[in-house]
Amino acid sequence: MFKHYLKIAYRNLLKNKMLSLVNLFGLTLGLASIMTLVFVVHVYYNADGFIEEEENVYYLKTFTTSGHDYNQTTYPLLEKIKNSCPDVVAGTHFFDWDLPLLSYQDIELQERRTSYVDADFFEVFTLPLKYGDDRTALKNKYDVVLTDKVSKKFFGEINPVGKKLVLNDTLSVKVAGVLEPISSYASLRLGVLLSTQLVEDYQNFKEHTGWSNSFTYNMIRLNANADVQKFENQVLDLVRQNYAEPSHIKAIKVVPYTEVRVDNIPIAGIIIKGAIATIIFVLLIVLVNLINLNTSVMYGRTRQLAVKKILGDHKKSIVFQFCLENGLLVLISLVVASFLFAWVLLPEINEIFGGNFGEIAIEIPNDYPVILYFLGLGIFITLIVGALPTLRFISLPIAIALKGKINGVRKNLFFRNVFIVVQFSLAILFICTAIILNYQISFMKNAPLGYEQENISIARIDLEYTDKESAESKFSEILDKLKSNPFVQDFSTTQIVPSAYYRSYTNFMDPESGKEIRIRYGRTDANYFKTLGIPLLSGRHFKENQSDTDIGTIIINAKAMKALGWTDLENKRLVNKGETSDGFEVVGVTKDFHYQGMQNNIEPLAHFYKGKQQLKNNNYLMLKIVKGKEQQVLKQLENDFAQIPSKRTFEYEMLSHKTNAQYDLLRGILKTVNFVAFFTILISCLGMFGLISLIAKKRVKEIGVRKVLGASITRILLLLSKEFIALVIIAGCIAIPVAWWLMNNWLQTFAYRIDIRWWMMVLGGLLALLIVGITVGIQSFKSAMVNPIKSLRVE
Amino acid sequence: MLLQLKNVSKWVQSGGQKIFLLKDINFWVNEGDFISIMGPSGSGKSTLLNVIGMLDNFNEGEYSFLEDSVHTLKEKHRANLYKQYIGFVFQSYHLIDELTVKENLEMPLLYKKFGASERKSLVGDMLDRFNIVGKKDLFPSQLSGGQQQLVGIARALIASPKLILADEPTGNLNSKQGEEIMETFTQLNKEGVTIIQVTHSEKNMKYGSRVINLLDGSVV
Repeated sequence: MFKHYLKIAYRNLLKNKMLSLVNLFGLTLGLASIMTLVFVVHVYYNADGFIEEEENVYYLKTFTTSGHDYNQTTYPLLEKIKNSCPDVVAGTHFFDWDLPLLSYQDIELQERRTSYVDADFFEVFTLPLKYGDDRTALKNKYDVVLTDKVSKKFFGEINPVGKKLVLNDTLSVKVAGVLEPISSYASLRLGVLLSTQLVEDYQNFKEHTGWSNSFTYNMIRLNANADVQKFENQVLDLVRQNYAEPSHIKAIKVVPYTEVRVDNIPIAGIIIKGAIATIIFVLLIVLVNLINLNTSVMYGRTRQLAVKKILGDHKKSIVFQFCLENGLLVLISLVVASFLFAWVLLPEINEIFGGNFGEIAIEIPNDYPVILYFLGLGIFITLIVGALPTLRFISLPIAIALKGKINGVRKNLFFRNVFIVVQFSLAILFICTAIILNYQISFMKNAPLGYEQENISIARIDLEYTDKESAESKFSEILDKLKSNPFVQDFSTTQIVPSAYYRSYTNFMDPESGKEIRIRYGRTDANYFKTLGIPLLSGRHFKENQSDTDIGTIIINAKAMKALGWTDLENKRLVNKGETSDGFEVVGVTKDFHYQGMQNNIEPLAHFYKGKQQLKNNNYLMLKIVKGKEQQVLKQLENDFAQIPSKRTFEYEMLSHKTNAQYDLLRGILKTVNFVAFFTILISCLGMFGLISLIAKKRVKEIGVRKVLGASITRILLLLSKEFIALVIIAGCIAIPVAWWLMNNWLQTFAYRIDIRWWMMVLGGLLALLIVGITVGIQSFKSAMVNPIKSLRVE
Repeated sequence: MLLQLKNVSKWVQSGGQKIFLLKDINFWVNEGDFISIMGPSGSGKSTLLNVIGMLDNFNEGEYSFLEDSVHTLKEKHRANLYKQYIGFVFQSYHLIDELTVKENLEMPLLYKKFGASERKSLVGDMLDRFNIVGKKDLFPSQLSGGQQQLVGIARALIASPKLILADEPTGNLNSKQGEEIMETFTQLNKEGVTIIQVTHSEKNMKYGSRVINLLDGSVV
């Protein structure tokens, strides 16, 4: 019997080749998208799965009275908390301090992710260890724990526990454990873990870690039945008693660790929520579409069903038959979609989001539930689209079904129309979103930034030189050569460049007015503003001279000047808050410029003079080169740098490329939105295609009669398509206000944004209408062209 | 007696008015009968046939088939009854397009849960009997109308029903094919199968042993 059903299913699929192909195409695309998104969501939610009882883990978040918040606190706070709060099971600091050089035999490595943690670390984060014992690791001052990746760089595949690494050429530390690899979506980004007991010995650490400097993250595991509110109050009490300036602290919140990722990358939450919404939406569209198409198929089979019932078939087996047919389709789609997912969409997603979240890959031992989800999804789709359309038909009276007449169609027209309206509302919504997003991105890309982007090249010069002194002298030779190079108009050695300012803030005070200002700062040389072509509003540039008299002076931007309420720079100084020194002389004010993406406002900004041009403590060499000569100059530079022994290779890029990259994530989102918009409209039109052909089939006689009575082709085209056009217009009326509202809200998150214009919305609607018009038109035209003799001959 | 209809009426409501499709039909069939139902278009022939075949309900009257009173039976029992005893032949054949001749014949047996070997022998018998062995792997669309109707009859017969209901079995055929089909029916009738056919043509009517004339839903 089963074989028999399978045979019929197979032949049916072959018979409606066009329809099957269309179904297969839409379904495959839909399933592949769903798979990709489900996988992203799955990986995201399971990335921190290694933390047992994560609901008991919290971190501390500081809120200042000036309205800022950050996730760090002072260093000694945690010790006090541990000593005085009985609810604390374990707690650990987590911070970067220096980037120590680790060496083993002749392998040297400076791992960017070197963090200092407490002995409690493995009690807070129950990280799996590949080698070593998590009960003892990091308890010892000279313990080091490595990630698998770092361990492989030093030791290859062997178990390195007990081996000694040399730290900064002086100390010897012992490998106490190697971590299992964790997901790149995990909240912790690890490389090398060292003990806080070690860093506490450092002189510069002792100097900075009092009760005034907030720099460490604190992760705390509480008792399962701890009263978090009470604990929070205890923490705040400790802050009040101990902090150097407790009046600055409004609150210290104890935040569940589950929120940390969204807290760190706010857009992650939006993306994941968006992904979930898109999964539901795509699934809905796929289902609705298949149900509509299948219903149309069922209409064509009413007679066949009646005959089968007469011959002794059961209702159940009719449903089963149809489910099997759809199951076959779903199965094929599932297989094709898996390939599409693994080889096309996943790499694509990694390209879009990898920069911000890290890349993800399928690992069967960890991700097998996803495969089960997919199978479940396939079964779910099969049951819904196989069973729903049949139910209406199997209870049709045989005598009526046998005549091929379909009663009760009118009744269901309402639901069908609602489906169509919903489908197209969503499609228009996505098209409008895509249009607006496109405009916003191109607006941000083309807006004047307040500095020159063209002809500016940026080279990294923090290359971990093996001999720092000789590197410095060779570098000054290179600079001399640059000075005499006619193609180099200007150059600057700097810690920061636009799009790569540190998130360093400090609180300044104007000693005259007593006005306070929170200001973002960076360090540059004398040529920075000249090279970038940023004009000064008043004052002067930094001056480079033999004794570097300008060290200790700053140049602020117009925003800062406004915030300070200054009108001129006469005798203006800024003092670090709480300090009694003379502070810094303000020598100049620049025009405001966009040192970060246009999503963000221009903040008050201060540039410290960094001293004469040199390698030390500078990250970038920024050059303004005569147009067309960039390659020549940079190649020469590359050769020169190759003469200096270093661990990293010389790299350069254009400033415009760097500023453009600020919008990579947005472009990724745009790409996703474009894809979904395309997909939605495609699927909706496929569904529409099927529906029209069904309607034309049902009305074939009517069309024939009308033609015999003299209706023109255009009249019949109109007759068949006006209903759908009307539905799409209704959909537009629903979608456009929603799109406007949504996008308007979203645009508010951009400091610099476009205004939504009415034509963007209308364009979205018209685009949908056009595509529908073409789809409907083609299909209607086919029906309208049929010779009436043929259609009227039946019976 | 195979079946009996007593005062059977069927109507539809239209504008507060009853329109009778069948009116007060009294009618019986013995085993071995070959009955022709005649009448002009719209006289209720097909409706009557559907009522007899239990594919359609009626509003009033009694219908007994063998020992069972059909009008009191539940839908499911009624379906079991016709599946067991009645074979249908249609004007437009109603073969399943996706199945070959052999598979079309096999289908009723599948539903009745015959074993594989039994199915094979029964299908083989039928193919032999109607002389269509050579066509067994063709699809309906590859056959002429007459051949399709032969398959239709073979399919109706395969589960050895007591009664064959044929609704204009030759309506879509040319005269030569029609004659062949009628010959087949006559032959079957001689072998003991009860047949009720609905027909327009005087010529086909004469193959039957009894004629029922319908006009506007009533027997005349």
